[in-house]
Amino acid sequence: MEDVQVVAMLVRRCVAGDAAAWEEIVQTYHRRIYNICYRFAGSGDDAEDLAQEVFIKMYRTLGSYDSSKGAFVTWVTTITRNLLVDHFRKTKNDRITDSLDAASSSHEDAQPLSEQIQDQSAPPDARVRSREVGETVHAALSRLSPELREAVILRDLQDMDYREIANVLRVPEGTVKSRINRGRAELARLLQRTYRQVM
Amino acid sequence: MPDLTSNGMQCAEFDGLLTDALDGVLTGVRLDRFQAHTRSCPACGPLFAEVEAGRNWLKDLTEVEPPAGLVTSILASTSGVDTQRLRVNSASPQPRVTVWERAQAWASGAMQPIWETVRQPRFAMSFGMAFFSLSVALSVLGVRPADLRQVSLRPAAIRHTYYNSQARVVRYYENIRFVYEVESRVRELKRDVAPAVAPSKEAAPEKKDHSNDTTQEPEQKQERNYSQRESQLILAQALPGSSLKGPSLDDSSIERPSINDSSINDPSVVSVTAYRRFV
Ligand SMILES: [Zn+2]
Repeated sequence: MEDVQVVAMLVRRCVAGDAAAWEEIVQTYHRRIYNICYRFAGSGDDAEDLAQEVFIKMYRTLGSYDSSKGAFVTWVTTITRNLLVDHFRKTKNDRITDSLDAASSSHEDAQPLSEQIQDQSAPPDARVRSREVGETVHAALSRLSPELREAVILRDLQDMDYREIANVLRVPEGTVKSRINRGRAELARLLQRTYRQVM
Repeated sequence: MPDLTSNGMQCAEFDGLLTDALDGVLTGVRLDRFQAHTRSCPACGPLFAEVEAGRNWLKDLTEVEPPAGLVTSILASTSGVDTQRLRVNSASPQPRVTVWERAQAWASGAMQPIWETVRQPRFAMSFGMAFFSLSVALSVLGVRPADLRQVSLRPAAIRHTYYNSQARVVRYYENIRFVYEVESRVRELKRDVAPAVAPSKEAAPEKKDHSNDTTQEPEQKQERNYSQRESQLILAQALPGSSLKGPSLDDSSIERPSINDSSINDPSVVSVTAYRRFV
């Protein structure tokens, strides 16, 4: 995923005060960090704030990154994950409502989940439909417990391997796999239930 | 999950192989046993279907596009560099933002949180002192900034380095003081042989005071003894020319050298002895 030496050099330049190196890091990783935040927090506004916080934390602690201890992307993901967990503990996930129908997305034209699914019977076009399915799954993902949610986000959305995820979450690989299984299964159950209501 | 044994495989084992099976890395006999268990176990069969369905749902979640201003706001809140300005400038043939400007912008951004803390009065003094002693210690030890990479940051190591440096700084000051003292004595003696006796009387009790002070560090005592011996030696050489005045001088004569002879030399002696008391 990354050339260890290139990244290590970039980090060194950055620690030495090279603003261009820092901008390169931000350009390279902001998409990934934003996506993890968005999928975990559920809302685009929260994701934007959280991604910014992640970079502020990264900027302050960049000197502590040790390339011999692991890939930079794992380090970055760990910072992101820890910040998300802190954020979750603070807010107690109060925006995640009990009903999937009430779960809203960051889009202005967000509709209750059942309506989104009904709309799928006559989709105006395939891209809209795919976006709507995505929003439905996104809403369901928000309902998973944080520990299952983070495991499936890192595996299925970020394509990290089990060892890397185990490093980020600081649990054994077996636990990672078990959480991924439970997270996927729980997600499928939530979505099946929703579809059964509609159909 | 009930731990059933079906087709020679337990449910716990099935669970452990589930991710591998879905990743397509399960092969051979193990794959056969896994598939057989999936078909026959009432708990694991549906579980496999759910996990697979969940994974497929997640494939619908494609990467989302971050907000357009995210990079700009991240840079503004970290390095403080305004990329909009940079982009506009780099688009024009002559980029007006110099490396120095960017470095300055970055430095101001980087220093902001540190500066906020330093500005608090209770930190200001200790930071000032710490920085001062550190810089003196580093220059005494001849440490170059490049060497700092090797500095251990364990608390015990930091403590050790701190005390080490402190001891060296104390020794450094002692040496400097000694040199000043000898210098000023020699200058005094050169200017006027006669009044030089007075400082010897003045300096002697002063030194006795300090040599009695057992709280001082050994090397300090040692250096003080050197300086004492040294000045006595010099004074002894100078005495023949002033043997009449020397021993008969009373307390009032202590003031004389500073008033009569060398207003340049005297303050240095005073400041040196005063300094000794406070260090
Ligand atoms: Zn089973």
